[in-house]
Amino acid sequence: MTDDKEAEGSVHTSVGSQLIIPIAAILFTIYYFYTIIDAPWTAQVAAFIVGSILIILVVLFGLKSVKIIRTGQGALDFDDLITPRSFVPKRLGLLSLTIVYIFIVPSLGFTITTFLFLAMATLLLSEGKNMSLILSLSAGLSLGGYLLFIVAFKTRFPAGPFETLMKVLF
Amino acid sequence: MKKLELDVNRRLILKGSATALGLATVSSFPFGSSLAASFPARNIKVYVPTREGGGADRLLRAVTGVWKNYLSTNFEPSFFPGAAGRVGYEKYMGLAKDDMYELLFGNMGPEVLNWVVKKPTFDLSTFQYFAQVDSDPGILFVSRRSKFKSIDDVIAEGKKRVLNVGVSRLAHPATLGALALAKHTGAKFNPIPLSGGKNTRAGVATGEMDLGALPSGGIVSRKKSFKVLVMFSHKNPLPGRSENAPTMNDHFKTNMPSLIAGSRAFGIKKSAIAKHPDRFNTLETTLKKVFADPAFKKAYLKTKSPWEFIGYRGPEACAEYSRNISKIGQEFKELLSGKKT
Amino acid sequence: MEYDLSFFSEMFVRTFSFWWVIIPAIFLGLVVGAIPGFSAANTIIILLPLTLAMDPEIGLTFMVALYASSRMGAGIPAILVNIPGTAGAAATPLDGYPMTKQGRGQQALAMSFFASISGGLFTTVIALLSLPWLSQIAYYLHSVEMIVIMFFGISLIATIAAKDTLKGLIAGFFGLMIGFIGTDVVYETPRGTFGFLELYDKVPLIPALVGLFAISEAFAIIERQSILTERGKAAMQNPGWSATFEGIRMAASRWWHITWNSLIGLVIGVVPGAGAAIASFVAYQQSKTYSKTPELYGTGHIEGLIAPESANNGVTSGTLVPLLVIGIPGGATAAIMLVVLQYHGVTVGPDLFLTSPELAFGPFTAMAVTYVLMILTALPLARYMSKITVISTIYMAPIIISFTLVGSFVPRAYLFDMNLALVFGVIGYVARKTDYHVAAILIGVILGPLMETYFLRAMKMSQGDIMVIFSSSIGNTLWVLLVISLALPYYMDHRRKKLGDGS
Repeated sequence: MTDDKEAEGSVHTSVGSQLIIPIAAILFTIYYFYTIIDAPWTAQVAAFIVGSILIILVVLFGLKSVKIIRTGQGALDFDDLITPRSFVPKRLGLLSLTIVYIFIVPSLGFTITTFLFLAMATLLLSEGKNMSLILSLSAGLSLGGYLLFIVAFKTRFPAGPFETLMKVLF
Repeated sequence: MKKLELDVNRRLILKGSATALGLATVSSFPFGSSLAASFPARNIKVYVPTREGGGADRLLRAVTGVWKNYLSTNFEPSFFPGAAGRVGYEKYMGLAKDDMYELLFGNMGPEVLNWVVKKPTFDLSTFQYFAQVDSDPGILFVSRRSKFKSIDDVIAEGKKRVLNVGVSRLAHPATLGALALAKHTGAKFNPIPLSGGKNTRAGVATGEMDLGALPSGGIVSRKKSFKVLVMFSHKNPLPGRSENAPTMNDHFKTNMPSLIAGSRAFGIKKSAIAKHPDRFNTLETTLKKVFADPAFKKAYLKTKSPWEFIGYRGPEACAEYSRNISKIGQEFKELLSGKKT
Repeated sequence: MEYDLSFFSEMFVRTFSFWWVIIPAIFLGLVVGAIPGFSAANTIIILLPLTLAMDPEIGLTFMVALYASSRMGAGIPAILVNIPGTAGAAATPLDGYPMTKQGRGQQALAMSFFASISGGLFTTVIALLSLPWLSQIAYYLHSVEMIVIMFFGISLIATIAAKDTLKGLIAGFFGLMIGFIGTDVVYETPRGTFGFLELYDKVPLIPALVGLFAISEAFAIIERQSILTERGKAAMQNPGWSATFEGIRMAASRWWHITWNSLIGLVIGVVPGAGAAIASFVAYQQSKTYSKTPELYGTGHIEGLIAPESANNGVTSGTLVPLLVIGIPGGATAAIMLVVLQYHGVTVGPDLFLTSPELAFGPFTAMAVTYVLMILTALPLARYMSKITVISTIYMAPIIISFTLVGSFVPRAYLFDMNLALVFGVIGYVARKTDYHVAAILIGVILGPLMETYFLRAMKMSQGDIMVIFSSSIGNTLWVLLVISLALPYYMDHRRKKLGDGS
């Protein structure tokens, strides 16, 4: 985590990305408060105490951020989050593949989806190199996962064509 | 479970529909209404609103293990634990088709009380229970280390100070029993929800709670640690195992409806019954036979629960029970939900 | 009780004769412990048909061995890839993972194994010898006292956040708020659930753990060739047994630290409902507070690793105490053991020690023997396991994502939980990249609801009188200790500066 920073060795703070977590926290806290306005006191007491402290902390952080920008030690950018920029496409690709994984696993089942995900994600990261190694590795891992999770541990993972076929055969 | 799967496989192969890639899932066969006469033509899916391996699961396995022989089909349970059963009911009402191939197996008492405290998203009048399987009465109990030896000791002390009563949840028939008893006798009970029977027993055993209110099953099986003080049913089904604990109605000359805390029952969408009365009839008549089958008793006794709890009760009895529970629930709604009605 | 030396030595000899069931259980435990979402509890459920078919004594031995080794297994991915296998190992990566990055993965594993084994063995023996006395703890630590113990755990947020207190606190309090999602324990009012019924029972821990640690880590590591730093890679060039021995030596020289922290674990483990996560957080916080070098924590400091690892194995021995003595399981795994015992018609409770002492003491001797056998079976594996860190992130990141997503699905079998893991993954990624501590968020998510539960229970029992939290003498003693442990670092810091000025 800190490695990249040490490497850069600069004091520049990207205030924009630093503010994401506090803003998310505040928005969530406000939403949370909204859901308990009419609730009995038992539902409110802990959340109101913790949430109020959280809001104070975020306000303090906001003031600190303003100071940082004013003194020129940082700017309202998102550099922290996206550097090194060369990895942005890969990271977004990996995120999209993960979303697709979750989306298609109910219909294609564990084994096939895992194979597709492993193969495509690894090929994305390796920029298409070592195709045959990656394909066989993905096949091996997804089969291993099938044996471990579904055959041995009997998890109720969604069954797809592969799992149904295996069930019919054995 | 394993055996169940094997049976499924054999059926598939026998039907000759083991399509090369097995693309068809078991529940989506193109049979259905054309074969209405030979109901059931495929597996029956059961939604269970509690976790796998829990009490409902064990009871369901004992019932369906025998029931499937009468119906010549298999049962596929799927578990939707969470939110005190709400997840399971919402999923069932949202996803299940009204073709009599999808049932729900829940615990009526606490789950009916859920709807009293907070209305579900679906219309309650479109759902009904049709067969209650067991009846485990709610009780008050103390630790063997407690200074209380009888319910009279508890009431006497409860008139002097507020007693903390450990309960599984507030919206629970056993809690209602405790509240009704307090109201009747003037004793002061403060119900403390401890999230589940295990925690409630721990709370009572460690002395943090003065007493506890739970279904009787988990207490009578731990006779060495706990003593049953009073039962909230019309009669004590387990006199031997509970040292002849009195019922509230007998001891306090009250006229409370029976507060059965463990009341596992099959439920279904009313539209399914309206659409397929013949199929419903098949389910009912075959299920009744299960209760007389010695194989069921044998399977049930393996769950280590008292056989005395078992007994078939039909749709009318289920409806009456639900009505009673929600009526008393309404009476204590403010205490259960923390909100004024 | 009239148990003499010959009784115990016979028990040990007898238990050693079950080595053929203990050793497979150890390996199985290491595997299931290491995969998030799997645990000793759900593995025992899966293997229930097998366990129930065994003789109760052998079945119990098997379960105990699996339980003890799964606890240790959870530390392996925590150290090597920054992914705790269970919530009980959530404090392990704080110092374990930095060691791995420096190429000291083998050494860290050896230390962690040594701390786990010796801490576990020590507390097992203590538990065995002091059963009647220990079992009383549960009668004294009630909701009020547990509130203070929770504060010990939560104060770790401030400890972790030492580098940037404000950001650390924001992360921790954000975690606490997330932890409050779900119904309140008294009236079951849904709160902050975004309308999802799946969140009524609070945020499920495994998806949160998987997202915050594993998925966010997978997104972050792709920009490096491997998880090792350049120096770390050089250090991994000559793997031999030396790092293992060095790790053991370093951990062994801190025997006092292991003793103390495993005792914290034992005491917390005895309380029903508390657990390994609390124990390891409390241990880490205590370890840092009383350390002479608190500034080294979080950078790959030995004591920061052995404190949580010895504590969570202390919990393992502790949870068996209330189970066997008062029939109240201290945790999920113990609860399943209870089911198995009941299936065999064994009634647990004080009488068990009279009616069947081999079953009452058996779990403890089984646990002790398991730890002894682990020295021979698990410890040597450190050398080979640490190799995993040289695997390129090209392969590592997709594997981590797919296998931990499975893990997040397993406990409840809801696809919803995979989505939730992804959401936490995104939160975790942003937190990592902008230097908010993911561990601080996770501590909040884990301890927030526990603390609220104890607090509301105490408040409901006192009918709304807030002063209840100062109503018990044990509780008040704990409050004083808490204040001391919070103030001490500042005092020490102040004194050190003063001394520095003086010289």
